[in-house]
Amino acid sequence: MRRKRSLAYRIFRFTMLGIYLLFAMFPFYWLFVTSIKTEKEVYSFPVDYFPKRPTLINYVNVWMNSRFPRYFLNSGTVALVSSVIVTFIAIFGAYSLARYNFKFKSQFLVFFLITQMFPLILFIVPLYIIFSKLKLINTLTGLILVYTSFNLPFSLFLMRGFIEGVPKEIEESALIDGCGRFRMIMRIVIPIIRPGVFATFAFAFTGAWNEMLFALMFLNSEKKLTIPVFLSMFVQKYDVSWGEMSAAALISLIPVAIMFAWIQKYLVRGLAMGAVKG
Amino acid sequence: MVRKMAPYLFLLPALILILFFFLIPLVETVIISFQKYVLYEPYDIRFIGISNYKKAFLEDPDFWISMKNSMIWTGGSLLFQFILGFGLALLLNEPFKGRGFYQSVIFLPWAVPGFLIGITWRWMYNARFGVINDILLKLGIINRPIAFLSLPDKSLLAVIVANIWFGIPFFAIMILSGLQAISPQLYEAAEIDGAGTFSRFFYITLPLLRHVIVVAIILRMIWIFNFADLIYIMTQGGPMNTSQILTTYIFFRAYASMDFGYAAALSVIAVCILLAMSILLLKITRFESEV
Repeated sequence: MRRKRSLAYRIFRFTMLGIYLLFAMFPFYWLFVTSIKTEKEVYSFPVDYFPKRPTLINYVNVWMNSRFPRYFLNSGTVALVSSVIVTFIAIFGAYSLARYNFKFKSQFLVFFLITQMFPLILFIVPLYIIFSKLKLINTLTGLILVYTSFNLPFSLFLMRGFIEGVPKEIEESALIDGCGRFRMIMRIVIPIIRPGVFATFAFAFTGAWNEMLFALMFLNSEKKLTIPVFLSMFVQKYDVSWGEMSAAALISLIPVAIMFAWIQKYLVRGLAMGAVKG
Repeated sequence: MVRKMAPYLFLLPALILILFFFLIPLVETVIISFQKYVLYEPYDIRFIGISNYKKAFLEDPDFWISMKNSMIWTGGSLLFQFILGFGLALLLNEPFKGRGFYQSVIFLPWAVPGFLIGITWRWMYNARFGVINDILLKLGIINRPIAFLSLPDKSLLAVIVANIWFGIPFFAIMILSGLQAISPQLYEAAEIDGAGTFSRFFYITLPLLRHVIVVAIILRMIWIFNFADLIYIMTQGGPMNTSQILTTYIFFRAYASMDFGYAAALSVIAVCILLAMSILLLKITRFESEV
């Protein structure tokens, strides 16, 4: 039986949750409102909290009169290719970690875990040097390789949790029916762990889509930039147009928002699992 | 034979990539940190012993400024994210109408990339047209607009506030999942024994959450310490390094001055600090004893 809380507590809770909601949502609201204001309204003080004449001009300008679509495409290519590769490699790697016992397995696991502790910044200098030798500087291929490997360790752990939840009997009966291990994974395991496949894909996609520092360091020709690099350069300009900036920022948020809405419950579950297991 | 090889074959692509992109660069970083390695002086790359480290500790005041800022940035962000996230989790622990919806909405900041948060807050902090100045003026807290991001005594505080906003949902998620694993019978039993709200909190909730709290704090500590995007976008570490943290400083050394040897040495120092902080935290909370 649940105790009924006092009225005072409920009012307190309602007020606090309300204040926090305002605090948490306001920056999003502000980004959106700025993006649909006219230039005159953006640059007025005291500020206008509700645009009187909502306009899409900032979106049109960003999409028609800048290289933004190109950068959107670059970011999309990098994120999509690397997340597909990550997902495939992680399925098989995680299967091996979940289902087999082999020499060095625990060492590998510790190693994968340790990689998560290092600051990414540490890898910028050596990878820049290695990539210069391989002629991968200023290429999207280079970035794809970086994002693929940096998103791999966490993806392996995420996927392993899902594979461990697959009943062994199902696999065994498929193997008895003469299915090879590889075909069995493709035809039996992957359909069962579909939520895990989506979660891993979305995690890797978001990670690649959002990354800024490596892209900033590795890309230098104007055609090759990704969205984070473009926006980080745009925002440092003295005469930055904040209406267009906000519009660009919101457009770049769309793919990530879709992904996040799609997988939120799996990610939270994975996080909670990790926390409880330690 | 094939059977024995199978687990290695399945793991091979992952292993190759991770070895190539973690292990080799890691070794490379340590080696470069003992070299004079400035990218635009490619004919003068040579070993110089521990000079880069000596330079950091003895000759570079900016290194010490960014170290101090890193501590304030990590500690300040962590403390408030934790307290506010904890409070939020407690309020969300009991069901009420619309809780599911409320949860998914307030967890949104967590999904937004660092650079976009930086852009948004940079605009809100704007000295002439910023909404934060407008709100503070209307509330009577200040009497003229403040250039938060370009004042030496305000810039670090300003980026920390943005970071706190960003990190509250993470703590709320982690702690809420821990809270919901605590059996309600424990509270009922304690209540029958006459325990009040506060003693229930201190004798049941906190001890049972210790594991989750320590894990969450260590994960976040490492993450915040390394989190350079937000500051890079909002202030670029300025004005005069007043909001420069160690990781943004490393980035500038590599990106702007191309001094790879020195940047590598600073990276090694950063890793050592992180390791020391994690071990210290585990020791203080006597974590191993219960695992």
